[in-house]
Amino acid sequence: MTALAERVAAVPRPRPRLSTVVSSAVIIAIAVLGVWSFIGLDYSLKSFETTFGNLSRFIGLATPMQWPGFNVIGTRQPDGTTTFVTEWVGFEPIWAMLGLVAITLSLVIAGTALAAVLSIPVAYGAARNTTPHPLVLAVCRGIGVVARAVPDVAFVVFLAFLWFNSGTLPAIVAVGLHSVGMISKMMADAIEQIDEGPRLAIRSAGGSKAQEFWSGVVPQALPAWIAVALHRADINLRASVILGVVGVPGLGYALDDALHAGPAGMRRVVPIVLIIIALCVLFEVVSSTVRSRLLGVQPTGRGIGDGLVRAIGRRSGRSASTVEVAGTGDPRSRIEQALHRPWDRSRIVTTLWIGIGIAVVVGAFLYAAPDLGRLFYGWRFDQVSNPDLDRAVWPPNFGSRDWGDVLAAVTTTVQVAFAATLMGAIISAVVGPLSARNVAPNGVVRNLFRGVALVLRAIPDLVVAIIFIIATGFGPQAGALALGIGGVGLLAKLIGDSMEEVPRGPERALAAAGGSRPQVFFSSTVPMSVPALVSHLMYLLEQNVRSATLLGIVGAGGIGFLLLNALQGRHFDQVLAFLLVIIALVVVVETASILIRRVLK
Amino acid sequence: MTSSGTPAVQISGLGKTYPGAGGPALSGVSLTVGRGEIVVLLGLSGSGKSTLLRHINGLEIPSEGGVVSLGEEVSRLTGRALRSLRGRIGFIFQQFELVGPLTVLENVLTGALSTLRGPRIGIWSYPRPLRLKALAHLDRVGLLERAYQRADTLSGGQQQRVAIARALMQDPEILLADEPVASLDPESSSQVMSLIREIAAERDLTVVCSLHQVDLALEWGDRVVGLRAGEVVLDTRTDSLSREQVMEVYGRVATTTGEIRAIEQELADVREELLSEELRKGAALERDPDGEPS
Repeated sequence: MTALAERVAAVPRPRPRLSTVVSSAVIIAIAVLGVWSFIGLDYSLKSFETTFGNLSRFIGLATPMQWPGFNVIGTRQPDGTTTFVTEWVGFEPIWAMLGLVAITLSLVIAGTALAAVLSIPVAYGAARNTTPHPLVLAVCRGIGVVARAVPDVAFVVFLAFLWFNSGTLPAIVAVGLHSVGMISKMMADAIEQIDEGPRLAIRSAGGSKAQEFWSGVVPQALPAWIAVALHRADINLRASVILGVVGVPGLGYALDDALHAGPAGMRRVVPIVLIIIALCVLFEVVSSTVRSRLLGVQPTGRGIGDGLVRAIGRRSGRSASTVEVAGTGDPRSRIEQALHRPWDRSRIVTTLWIGIGIAVVVGAFLYAAPDLGRLFYGWRFDQVSNPDLDRAVWPPNFGSRDWGDVLAAVTTTVQVAFAATLMGAIISAVVGPLSARNVAPNGVVRNLFRGVALVLRAIPDLVVAIIFIIATGFGPQAGALALGIGGVGLLAKLIGDSMEEVPRGPERALAAAGGSRPQVFFSSTVPMSVPALVSHLMYLLEQNVRSATLLGIVGAGGIGFLLLNALQGRHFDQVLAFLLVIIALVVVVETASILIRRVLK
Repeated sequence: MTSSGTPAVQISGLGKTYPGAGGPALSGVSLTVGRGEIVVLLGLSGSGKSTLLRHINGLEIPSEGGVVSLGEEVSRLTGRALRSLRGRIGFIFQQFELVGPLTVLENVLTGALSTLRGPRIGIWSYPRPLRLKALAHLDRVGLLERAYQRADTLSGGQQQRVAIARALMQDPEILLADEPVASLDPESSSQVMSLIREIAAERDLTVVCSLHQVDLALEWGDRVVGLRAGEVVLDTRTDSLSREQVMEVYGRVATTTGEIRAIEQELADVREELLSEELRKGAALERDPDGEPS
């Protein structure tokens, strides 16, 4: 026995792997920082009381709802209460609302289309295998990082000042510039993942560099380009609400307007919000359908639209169509005949979709009618370049605030992100596994939790956050709460998927050895999915930092609030200073996230 | 077309060492290929066959020595001149290297890019005579009815035939083929190999083809050049080979029976790799392309 004990004691204990250490460190760090953030944001019973007070006050003000086409008139009764009469006022406001929907969609589509085009050269330079020079690579990647980090709100205000009185042009260009960040990055990733063989073949046949790119690289990266652009359009629609705060026409502006129009306005708020949510969900369904049609592949995304399309796809199996050429006749006439591609079903469908796509983009530009001429004249460049003037961009400074104020604001933003991440993680730790087929005790539970995640995901989290902030009073607590709940939709889905992807073998072995479901879960499923879980957690944190910055603009405090103040005062030197801080923050978080995810791979 | 007196390919003292590699990939290779010759480069993987082929059309730059293809010193050419030389030399790859999402016809048309200026997108961006020519080549390789199908929906043998049609689009004087059938099943292999020979005969092409199967090389080529560890170890015509000489070919290229077995093993490995590649591709399609919205 002692011999065995000695041998047991002598069993070598290898040092833990780096990925294990990093995983544990990330989990502990997020837990500790999350708790610190909760404390820092002053979450207390009292603050919840205030929150609920605000919420009920808001509901009181917002009801009865005034939908477009109706008018709600409140009459104060002698006993102090108010009675409301809802009356039909005709179709006019409904057409106006549809106009708002159209202009919102037009700006989003036009801006995203612009970004998609601008992204091609940036991605060409930012992909390691196509870039002409390491310097170009660095510059293009830098463009991507800056474009991602600078909120489109900042672009809008600056461009609207630069091209004074130029209609929708600043909004389209702003959405375009900001979106270049994400589209070019994902397009560059797609280019780096292509098969190099066809390029080599074209080079061997004497093709030039440009021919190599357009014939060998672009066709392979095209599906990714379209998919990313559609995905980005989705995100831009959700984010367009915030653009309303700085005066971009559309639903966001209508919402902002309603919020500042007294009691009569408050009654319009909830209908507008519901219309926005419905529009977002509808748009996602459409974008997902288009993606699957154009690419001819099953969508694998996580949204409600993707799910719907998958379900439809399962029902109607599609088969690849083949071209038929008459086998008889002399070769010459057969070849002449083959020159004309037959209008078979697949060609008609493809052409139709391409036509619709082009029509939608062109239509969006025509409807938004940006004053393109202003791109070429009337730049008020002198005003932003002269350091003596009030609107100068240079030198950046914090205005009346000092480093202490800025650091406090950054801390608030970071705290909102961490608190939201911790909250999202805790809720997802329950919802996520229970929505995994191999963890949930039965199909009913799985579908229930999958449904919860799906609904939370379908509702645009940024919109929810804005409503929360509006409803419960401005402040970081509300922002964190909203982001946290919104994050559940994303994280729970990712966790559920990762757990379903775990190899089945070990689970079966444990179950065969008599393990109960919870035992199997904790001894096999969890340890095998930890790296994936941690990388999802980092992804959520990254998202939350960005969102927390944006939420500041609509009233959650933090660095976003400082940015909004500077924007509203058109103090572009301060705007630049705060943007530099935001860029630094995003770069730090992104770099950490990339490093950690690389270790976990 | 050019003076038929000069050889198609003249390689002299060619050496190639990749930076960071242990030894040279090629050393002291001298070889002259006459016009209309059908030459097989025979050797195990890593013997330098592919590297040698890639020097002929300037995909690689020699470390020492030089290559003269169709009368041009390859390493001296740059830009347009290099591209026009490459246009005269067709190249067929082991993995076909078609642009998967494009139609078969557009893939064939990319063979004509060296004669065109600027990038081309879509079949209609190529002039009608080229389209007719491409269709004729597709008809020649027996795939006319597949013209408008996506290239990646075709089987391996069909894809390699499309790749041959693409090479024909160049009106090549030399056809280089790098293990053209290593990824194909036996039936498609023999189809593709005889197609290459037929086309070579029709157009009086010079063919340099690398292979690793001794029997196929002896049966198919007019001349076999054996490579081992980057050096030429054998150079013989295949007609009039006696049984002893065949055994010697085996001996030179793969010295011991162990190494003959290594060839077999190599083949099995390649097949297995292909299979797992297919499986991985299948699995990758299933998986989620993770989006990173900002």
